[in-house]
Amino acid sequence: MAELYPSLAQCAIVAAAFKKTSEWTLDYPPFFAAFEWLMSQAAALVDPAMLVVKNLGYDSLETVYFQRTTVILTELVLVYALSRFIKSAPLANKQAAHVASLSILLSPGLLIIDHIHFQYNGFMYGILILSLVLARKQLLASGFIFAALLCFKHIYLYLSLAYFVYLLRAYCLDPKFRPLFLNVIKLGVCVVGVFAIAFGPFADQILQLKDRLFPFSRGLCHAYWAPNFWAMYSFADRALIPLAPRLGLPVNRDALSSVTRGLVGDTSFAILPEVTKEQTFLLTFVFQLVPLVKLWLQPDWNTFIGAITLCGYASFLFGWHVHEKAVLLIIIPFSLIALKDRRHFSAFRPLAVAGHVSLFPLLFTPAEFPLKTVYTIFWLILFLFIFDRIAPVPERPRVFLFDRFSSLFLTLSIPVVLYSSLLHHLIFGSQRLQFLPLMVMSSYSALGVVGSWVGFMVVYFTT
Amino acid sequence: MAPPTPSSHRPRKKRKNPTAPGSNNSLIVDFGDGKQSPAFPLVSFLWAARAGVSQWLILPLTLMAVGLFRWAVSLWGYSGFNVPPMHGDFEAQRHWMEITAHLPVAKWYLYDLQYWGLDYPPLTAYHSWLCGKIGSAFDPAWFALDKSRGIEGPDLKVYMRATVLISEYFVYVPAVVNFLRRYTRMHGVHAWSASIALVAILLQPATILIDHGHFQYNTVMLGLMVASLDAILAGRMLWACIFFVGALGFKQMALYYAPVMFAYLLGVCVFPRIRILRLLNIALITLAAFAVLFAPLLYGATTMEARELFATSAEPPLLQSLPISLDKKSVAYALLFQTTQTIHRVFPFARGLFEDKVANAWCAVHTFYKLNRFEASLLQRASLGATLASIIVPCAIIFRHPRASLLLPALSCVSWGFFLFSFQVHEKSVLLPLLPMTLTLAGDGGLSKQNRAWIGWANILGSWTMYPLLKREELRLPYIVMTLLWAYLMGLPPTSFEIFRSRASPEESPLEPHILSKLLHLAFYLAMIGWHILEAFVPPPAGKPDLWVVLNALIGAAGFGLAYLWCMWNLVVQCREIDLRAAEEGSRKKKQ
Repeated sequence: MAELYPSLAQCAIVAAAFKKTSEWTLDYPPFFAAFEWLMSQAAALVDPAMLVVKNLGYDSLETVYFQRTTVILTELVLVYALSRFIKSAPLANKQAAHVASLSILLSPGLLIIDHIHFQYNGFMYGILILSLVLARKQLLASGFIFAALLCFKHIYLYLSLAYFVYLLRAYCLDPKFRPLFLNVIKLGVCVVGVFAIAFGPFADQILQLKDRLFPFSRGLCHAYWAPNFWAMYSFADRALIPLAPRLGLPVNRDALSSVTRGLVGDTSFAILPEVTKEQTFLLTFVFQLVPLVKLWLQPDWNTFIGAITLCGYASFLFGWHVHEKAVLLIIIPFSLIALKDRRHFSAFRPLAVAGHVSLFPLLFTPAEFPLKTVYTIFWLILFLFIFDRIAPVPERPRVFLFDRFSSLFLTLSIPVVLYSSLLHHLIFGSQRLQFLPLMVMSSYSALGVVGSWVGFMVVYFTT
Repeated sequence: MAPPTPSSHRPRKKRKNPTAPGSNNSLIVDFGDGKQSPAFPLVSFLWAARAGVSQWLILPLTLMAVGLFRWAVSLWGYSGFNVPPMHGDFEAQRHWMEITAHLPVAKWYLYDLQYWGLDYPPLTAYHSWLCGKIGSAFDPAWFALDKSRGIEGPDLKVYMRATVLISEYFVYVPAVVNFLRRYTRMHGVHAWSASIALVAILLQPATILIDHGHFQYNTVMLGLMVASLDAILAGRMLWACIFFVGALGFKQMALYYAPVMFAYLLGVCVFPRIRILRLLNIALITLAAFAVLFAPLLYGATTMEARELFATSAEPPLLQSLPISLDKKSVAYALLFQTTQTIHRVFPFARGLFEDKVANAWCAVHTFYKLNRFEASLLQRASLGATLASIIVPCAIIFRHPRASLLLPALSCVSWGFFLFSFQVHEKSVLLPLLPMTLTLAGDGGLSKQNRAWIGWANILGSWTMYPLLKREELRLPYIVMTLLWAYLMGLPPTSFEIFRSRASPEESPLEPHILSKLLHLAFYLAMIGWHILEAFVPPPAGKPDLWVVLNALIGAAGFGLAYLWCMWNLVVQCREIDLRAAEEGSRKKKQ
């Protein structure tokens, strides 16, 4: 059991550690710490031995049961949020909302990350969806909940620009751009209040907190190369190495010997120029601003969700040290509008395949292999089929050639996934070229994510 | 904004109405407000597949879903995990792979019999050989001769679990899918309810828990049996013989089915008219199948080393009792030795009447009236007599009326008889009567409330009687999940009490369970829940540490007796229906 669930024991330790010894072993914001503290209170009732800090690596079966049960129970927040989503959907879209909700609830991403790998994403995304649903009518509550969510997990900062623009435009300004002072004050009090409650107790440690929350000492790419733009960039770099002498390009010798091979640390490129944090920030910011312009001009709910999705895309594709788990930041908001019409759906399709497949490296033991693959394939077949059946015909013509890309990507993904998860080991054994399947898989997935991003951009701006 | 949902994609409703008479007519319930709702949760899972969805989509999805449950169960403990020195069934199977992969055929049934000597028929041995060979390609240490005894490790576990799953998906699953296709067509049942029945059959909790939890390859034997039934439905009697010999050759437990198969095959040669040629064909092909089955074993016995080995080994008891004497170095002696040694290993007559606490009649009687005061031979004769008495009626019926549609009830009846009264029954043998009983879910009216209540109840009871076994192997959670899942999907207690509610008057739906069976079931469900509470919270009284297990076996035996009677009643009713129909047709013809 111990090697199957590394993060479980860690989590128990964190919960325990939080009680007294050291306040900030946790790299999550204060509300999550409080949540863990609550869990540790409950854990004390179940098995007190679980919380003895000395028990590093303590993972009795009770601990496993307890931790897994908390994940399942807190996921009820997601269930509640989705039921609110279905209720809030207009009558004509009820069926689509129902299907989309089920697809989120049964998402292989949540199964792999939460229930096998172990995290509380179901709970977090439940809060996010609740906030998104409230954004239809109750904007103040939506902003309030989003502020609280930021104090649970700061990854959602990536979406905050869209919230800022939307709330400013739709709540703080009236249609003729005149400020509504009462609303400004209400919203301000709410947001500032939430942050004050969260961070107030740690006012004296705020710098330490900042370092823990934003560890910029890590490299550009995360361990397994999340399928984003930088994965393609790295792949291009590797691919150029053999060609460099012929093209007369200078080669950085240091980089050759320290091929990243998926290790955490600084990525150095042999041919292509290095990338700095500032550059990634600038790219992310620019690509977030583009969709926000439209949101500013047309602040309705559908545009808002589209903008949230595009902010997720921009930060996932161009962010610094992005983890592959962050792909849920795109998939989950996108699921809410993927069934709007067939154009949305055809942009969603490559994302659904690439995003979920790219999560495979998270689970690496042979025992988990059939679970992750079969469940993901099951989900993809079931939901892509149903989505295809119920997505309505769009009002505008579809994007020329984009459907071709989508189908081609789907078809090619079968041999690629087969190769990188099975055939490679049979051909080369588990020792030789072990980074190759990961590289192929993440570059290919990156292609899907980028393709779906471009496609959705077009759909977003032409709807 | 999005246009309203298009009507072009909505499935057409009027096409082939599944509520039409002649199909399983209680999948869709109308609560009086004109709105159709699914009758039990499994139906609602497949609700969207009512019409217009291709089998090419439903079947792979079903197989993937049930496969996921199997694999999830297999992540848990197995028989003999971390229990040196003998471990359990897992080690036994691994050990057979080890010896078959490394030793010459002649030694298979002779090698170190004290440590898990091979005691299954040849097909299991060949299967072990194949698995051992493939496994050695992954890691030779898993099956190294003698050195690998008691070896355990996550990779080996994955490999062994995978062999069970793959064997099942190569034998059992295709057999069941094909059988259901033919069987439902024969009964005029809609494809939709066939899909529902398929899910139910593939999610039988007891089978999953034993094969993928406890660790065995029962589904291979069961699959060959189903393939044999499929061949009978298709009218290919000779293939049926071959598959049945395969089932017997994989696990001797398939003998539970043998009387019915024999009576049926004999019946088709006698009624409605005597067909000698067919009888000869069947006899010959069966013999030939046995010959092929034993051929590799016997061929291995003819080598020089094998003959020398046999000449120096102790004679199998069966060979001693034969009134012939042969030169110990001759080929004939070697062949005879190999055959008798195999039979001796496969049928251990020397063991007791029953093992452990099994929910059958002998164990129940033993609780109140100690049976070990009698001689073993007397008990054996009593057991034989009781078994024969319990199976004679169904066998006679199937012999007189050799109809394919009567096979399933007859098979379940006879195998319940064997389970209850025969010699050396193991709690895992309950899978055998449960299989034909559960297969009837696919028949006409198979998913009706009455059938569902009885079959679902028998399956729950079956997996409940295995709880003491599963608990020892750390399979408590899979037991809870799989059993409750089955109960939930079939709409049965403890998750739903819908089954006890009468929705329609008996004239309208004759397939409502009888009030008496409702009461009986309720009593059993309460007993099972009460037993779990007792077992979990009350320690058994001092001096009687096995009290709860015995209680479990007693309740189980009573329930299985009831299941036996229900199957018998079903068989008689169906047989009479057929008779009546035949008589009607006869009189109509006369009038014309």
